[in-house]
Amino acid sequence: MSEQTFSDIISGFIKGWIFALQEYWLLTAESFKNLFLRPFYISDTIIQADLIGVGSLPIVILTGFFTGAVMSLQLASTLSQYGQISRTGQLVSLSLVRELGPVLTALMISGRNASGMASELGSMVVTEQVDAMRALGTDPVKKLVTPRLIATTVMTFFLTIISDVCGLLGGYVYAVMALGLNGTHYWSSAYEALGFDDLNQGLIKPIFFGMIVATVGCFFGMKARGGTQGVGRATTQSVVVASVFIIVMDFIISSVLKKFSGLSAGI
Amino acid sequence: MSSTVSSIASQSREAGGQVVLEFERVTMAFGTRVLFRDVSFQVQRGATKVLLGEAATGKTTILKLVLGLLRPVSGRVRVLGHDVTRMPERELFELRRSIGMAFQESALFSSLSVRENVAYRLEEEGKLGEGEIEQRVRRCLDEVELGDVLDKLPADLSGGMQHRVSIARALATEPEIMLYDSPTGGLDPVTSAKIMQTIIQLRDLRRVTALLVTHRLQDGYLLASQRWDEQQKRLVAMDPRQSRTTFLLLCEGRVCFDGTAEELLRRQDPYLRRYLA
Repeated sequence: MSEQTFSDIISGFIKGWIFALQEYWLLTAESFKNLFLRPFYISDTIIQADLIGVGSLPIVILTGFFTGAVMSLQLASTLSQYGQISRTGQLVSLSLVRELGPVLTALMISGRNASGMASELGSMVVTEQVDAMRALGTDPVKKLVTPRLIATTVMTFFLTIISDVCGLLGGYVYAVMALGLNGTHYWSSAYEALGFDDLNQGLIKPIFFGMIVATVGCFFGMKARGGTQGVGRATTQSVVVASVFIIVMDFIISSVLKKFSGLSAGI
Repeated sequence: MSSTVSSIASQSREAGGQVVLEFERVTMAFGTRVLFRDVSFQVQRGATKVLLGEAATGKTTILKLVLGLLRPVSGRVRVLGHDVTRMPERELFELRRSIGMAFQESALFSSLSVRENVAYRLEEEGKLGEGEIEQRVRRCLDEVELGDVLDKLPADLSGGMQHRVSIARALATEPEIMLYDSPTGGLDPVTSAKIMQTIIQLRDLRRVTALLVTHRLQDGYLLASQRWDEQQKRLVAMDPRQSRTTFLLLCEGRVCFDGTAEELLRRQDPYLRRYLA
C-alpha cells in the first residue's frame, strides 16, 4: 500500500515536470511565432529594453570589473610560479570573453530580471489582469512575453560586451597597479589572444542566455497560482531554473562550438 | 473572420428575442474535480440572467466559459451564434469585442490610469482617432458617474469606484453582451445601489444582454422589479410580467432552478427555501 503511494508520488512528480516542460516549450514557441505576427508592440519592447538593459547596467559593470580584477589576481599568483606572469592579460581575456563574461552577465540579468518578470506577470495573473487582457481581445503572450523576449535577448548581448570590456579593464587595473605589469603589453596580449572562435562563442552564448532568462521568467509568471504566496514561489523558481538552464546551455554551446571549430581546424 | 463575427452580431441585433447565449449540456471540471455537470440554459437578446449559488459552484466559471477564457470538458457554449468551445483563441479575440466583462476584483491594469484602462481596447484596435477615443472614454466614464477620475491610477480609487471603472472599460467597445461578476461584492449599500442603478440603466438604455453573478438576492430582485425612467432620471417599479430578468441557481454541480423571480419565490424545494432564507 505504502509502496503504491510512493510510486504514485514519483509518477505524479515526473508527470508534473513533463507537463511543465511541455507548457514551457509551447509558450516559447508561441512567443517566437509572435515575432512575425501583427500587431508589433514596439513601444512595449523599448520600455522593456530600458528596464532590462539600462536597469541592469550598474550590476553588470560592477560584476564584470571585479571579476576581471579577481581573475588577474588569481592567475598572476599561479602564472608567477612558472615565470609567465606577462601572460595574465591573455588568460584574463580568453576566460572572460569565452566563458565568464557571458555566464556571469546572464546570471546577473537572470537574478534581476527573470525574478522581476515572474513577479510582475505573476501579480497580473493572480489579480485577473491577464484574464482581463484576454477578455479585451489582446493576446497576453504577444503583449507581455514577446516584447520581453526581444528586449532581454538584445540587451543581454550588448550587456555581455560591456561586461567583457569592464572585466578586461578590471584585470588591467589590478595587473598594472598591483602587479606592476606593463599596461601596453597587457592590452596587446589580451587582444592577440582572442581569435574568431573565441569571439564567436562569446557572442553566441548571450543570445541563448537572454532567451532563457525571458522565457523562464515569463513562464513562471504566467503559471503563477495561489495569490501572493504563489507569486513569491514563481519568483524564486524562475531564478533557480533560469540559472541552471544557463549553466547547462553554456556547456551545450561550448561543446557544439568546440566540435565545429575542431572540424574546421581538421582536428 | 472579423466580418463573420460582425455579421453574426448584426444578425442578432436585427432579430429581437433571438437567443444570443446558449449553454448546452456543459460539464466543467478542474483536474479530477467536477465543478458542474450538464448545465443548460439560454439567454435571449436584451434579457438578463442572474446566476445564483453558493461559493465554488462555478458561477464565475460560467462567465469565463462565455468569454472562451476556459474550455469545458464537454457540451457546447454558443455566443452570438458562435460555438466558442471550438473556436481558436485568435478568432475568440475578435468575438470578445462583442462581450464586455466586469471582473469580481475589477482587474484594472494597475500601471495604467483610468483613462488608459477604459481606452485600452480602442487603442489596441487602432480603428478610432485619438479624439474619438477620448470622447468615447469620457462618455463611458460619465455613464458610471466617474468623469472626474480620468488621470487617477486604480490604486487611488475605492473598491466601488474600481468596479464602476471596470464596467466603463467593458462598455468602451459597445458590447452586445455584458458579464458582471459579483459587481456589488464587498461594497457598502450606497455604492452597491449606485452600481445596480448603472447596470439597470445600461440594460434599459443600451438594451445590453447580461449575465450577472451575485451572492446578493436583493440585487437580482432589483433587476427584476425596477426599470430606468429616463424622464424622471431614476429607477421606478416595473410590472413583473414585463421583466426580462430570469434566475439560474447552481447547487451540487447542477442547475437547481431556472426561471423568473415569481417562480423562484413560489418554489417549495427545501434547498431553495433554505437558500432564499
